[in-house]
Amino acid sequence: MADRRSITANGRRGSRAQESFFDYTLLFIVLFLLGFGLVMLYSTSSYDGGLQHGDPAFFLKRQLLSTILGVIAMIVVANIPYHFWEKFALLGYIVSVILILLIIPFGYEAGGAKRWLRIAGMSIQPAEIAKLGMILFLASLICHMGRKIRTGKGFLIVLGVPMPICLLVWKVTENMSSAIIIFGIAVLMLFVSCPDYKRFIILGLVGAAVCALAVYLIASAGSADSLGVRGSRILAWLDPEAYASGKGFQTLQALYAIGSGGILGKGLGMSMQKLGFLPEAQNDMIFSIICEELGLFGAISILIMFILLIWRFMVIANNAPDLFGALLVVGVLGHIAIQVILNVAVVTNTIPNTGITLPFISYGGSAVMFLLIEIGIVLSVGRGIRLKDL
Amino acid sequence: MVNHKTFIRKKIVVVFFVCLALFLVLAGRLVYLMVFQSDYYTEQAKQLHERERSIKAARGRILDANGNVIADNKTVCTISVIHNQIKDPDRIVEVLSKELDLSEEYVRKRVEKYSSIERIKSNVEKEKGDAIRAYDLDGVKVDEDYKRYYPYGELASKVLGFTGGDNQGIIGLEVKYEDYLKGQEGTILTVTDARGVEISEAGEERVEPVAGKDLYISLDINIQSYATQLAKQVMETKQAERVSILVMNPQNGEIMAMVDVPEFDLNNPYELPEGSVAEGLSQEKQQELLNQMWRNGCINDTYEPGSTFKIITAAAGLEGGVVTVEDRFSCPGYIMVEDRRIRCHKTTGHGSQNFMEATMNSCNPVFITVGLRLGVENYYKYFKQFGLLGKTGVDLPGEAGTIMHKMEDMKAVELATVSFGQSFQITPIQLATTAASIINGGNRVTPHFGVASADRQKTEMEQFSYPVTEHIVSEETSATMRMILEQVVENGTGKNGYVEGARVGGKTATSQTLPRGSGRYIASFIGFAPADDPQVLALAIIHNPQGVYYGGQVAAPVVRQLFENILPYLEKMDYN
Repeated sequence: MADRRSITANGRRGSRAQESFFDYTLLFIVLFLLGFGLVMLYSTSSYDGGLQHGDPAFFLKRQLLSTILGVIAMIVVANIPYHFWEKFALLGYIVSVILILLIIPFGYEAGGAKRWLRIAGMSIQPAEIAKLGMILFLASLICHMGRKIRTGKGFLIVLGVPMPICLLVWKVTENMSSAIIIFGIAVLMLFVSCPDYKRFIILGLVGAAVCALAVYLIASAGSADSLGVRGSRILAWLDPEAYASGKGFQTLQALYAIGSGGILGKGLGMSMQKLGFLPEAQNDMIFSIICEELGLFGAISILIMFILLIWRFMVIANNAPDLFGALLVVGVLGHIAIQVILNVAVVTNTIPNTGITLPFISYGGSAVMFLLIEIGIVLSVGRGIRLKDL
Repeated sequence: MVNHKTFIRKKIVVVFFVCLALFLVLAGRLVYLMVFQSDYYTEQAKQLHERERSIKAARGRILDANGNVIADNKTVCTISVIHNQIKDPDRIVEVLSKELDLSEEYVRKRVEKYSSIERIKSNVEKEKGDAIRAYDLDGVKVDEDYKRYYPYGELASKVLGFTGGDNQGIIGLEVKYEDYLKGQEGTILTVTDARGVEISEAGEERVEPVAGKDLYISLDINIQSYATQLAKQVMETKQAERVSILVMNPQNGEIMAMVDVPEFDLNNPYELPEGSVAEGLSQEKQQELLNQMWRNGCINDTYEPGSTFKIITAAAGLEGGVVTVEDRFSCPGYIMVEDRRIRCHKTTGHGSQNFMEATMNSCNPVFITVGLRLGVENYYKYFKQFGLLGKTGVDLPGEAGTIMHKMEDMKAVELATVSFGQSFQITPIQLATTAASIINGGNRVTPHFGVASADRQKTEMEQFSYPVTEHIVSEETSATMRMILEQVVENGTGKNGYVEGARVGGKTATSQTLPRGSGRYIASFIGFAPADDPQVLALAIIHNPQGVYYGGQVAAPVVRQLFENILPYLEKMDYN
């Protein structure tokens, strides 16, 4: 695949003076997803925006501003050699911890959760910074560890380093989903940098067994009252219609949206479920509105776009000039892949409901900005590829 | 490429394919949901998005014998609030409580209740509804529908009955013929957002309501209003408590008029009559007063019929062969039954008389003698044969049954009192129906109002039929009874019922109400005409008249005046 890439890149540039590489395919996929995301966001949020803020384009305007800022940041970052960031790896980790802790006194609430900090008039989710910080810190750490990572001790260090951040994100911001994502990124980066398979298979099996056991215990306990929020979420996952007025409500509404979309959908803008029936339609649940309006056809198309995105990440990671660059790209790959997979799985009730946004498409200013910075880093790594190495 | 080991490349490819596999699983899940489960979820979502509103069906009208509409519909408004659309609850509470004369708490409770649509008040005048609509309040819905309207107000109130807030019949014919009158509600299905706001582009599905069927009844408003007038008049002049007048066709049981004054205003059925103190009464007490006001004395209450019941004793005696018209009796002013001395109303006695004369005199000892000659068993047999033990089956709700001794408990004294119409109770409709059946040739008819039901265009007409029991007495007995009763009016106690130029038969009654000695009487007269071929039968009952209380003096003139007016009228109707 890399060989074919080199031919087309050569064909386009041809000159020896411009031997550096720029991944336009990746850029166009990202720009497509951003544009598509804005269209869907406007379609989904105009009802809520009109009702709550008197302006149907309320959410669109705010998201557009964040996107523009994000794209500028992406261009800047793409033009900075990525090794520049290595010095900030430890600092990033520490800043992440501090920002999360700052939420306790200074954070403000939205939608019932206290997850945001207001900095210079903009609200920022420290959890998003922590994801980026973790990718950078782990990439740097693994590079410094060298062969030590192959030992059991090294393995445990890499698994242990993200734990404080995960716990902080989980407990301080009550955002288990982000904690899972950060941990998932760490596991993925560790997996890539270790030649071993056995440990990961065992880790995966143990994880799966624990999940299955938990689900079994909760399902057989039966009553939702005694189980707390997460337990009842699992019961609602198993049978959303039995919990239609409680925990299963959002899931059921999402299923109505998805199911009523059919193969070709109701048409852009024609969703019924976005009219107040589906809570958080423009956030976590935007994929179900895509399904309702654009049908199976549109939904699969979006999945294909994400697969292409991940494929570009793989190509860049495999051709990165050094391990640090490759690990940065793997981290971003992990971040986006985990979020897309979990989001679509939640929306289709494949896994229990937990709040995860769909990258580039869901409403959320800090999320889109930090995602674009991550894309900038990937583009920067891509620039380091010398064509003759391909 | 210094540190870039091959295993890392391999592992990145593994990661990619694991992601790809997971995406394929999710795509499979999407295919399952959006292709195979699509119909199910589409249906569920549709139900969620559609709101059903019912459209009331126009209730069928009620028309009298001449086709006059006596129960009709008019457009009124129902005011409701849609919680999700309310923007200014305080103003809504203020406006609605002011315009609708409701207490603020009552309105506030409904405005603040979380429901898709909450009714505040129904049956609001159209002008009021238009006024509320003009305020243009968000979340207030003014729906037009129909309300029952009775153009004749009080007329035949206890017969027609009225309808409640949902246009359902509450008493009278309105409830008895509910199934014909009510029609079928329609529905409007509209697509709404989660707040309940209709989405205009989505359009609406309508299921049209089916109007109720019109009811044609035998009541004639001309006769009814004249009878009402007479009843009011006699109630006033005699300061009576209550006056009932029943007019029916003895040949088929069709009721032409049924009056029970005081009546009430059908358009304001919950308004207590003037003079009654409603304030300070508990809810139940007020309801009791209303129920009292709505009671139809002709069918809901029983009374001791007194001497009018001698018609039945005479018919039973003649039919049983224990007496003939020519049989002679002697009345010393009383009769001994076992150890009891039962007095005649004429304490000096009627002396020697035949059976016809005894009926004309309404002589108690003679009828006691006839009853005793029949014996308990035979008397009971005829009582039952004449249909007196059961109900008449009149097409009005709440008909009272007969209160009668059990046959085992009936001894000579009881038999004696029953023979002249005391110690048991029947309803006026039962007395009129039985008398009608005795004089019409012996066919027990079912008294009724309902004649037919049809849709507005009269394309489909359903004629009602009612059971008739033939030969409860023979033709001869019936003819004899007509002859005797004509004599009662020509020359006997009923002569005040005589109508110039017409042949009227009849019988008077003056009964003391229980407890005896209270000085309360019921004066009544039952008359029919023409005596040889009865076409109309009328029963007038005056409860507790002051001053002169004899049936012959109080009740017979009422029937006479009625006949003077309606006999020519009925003849004219026949020509047409």
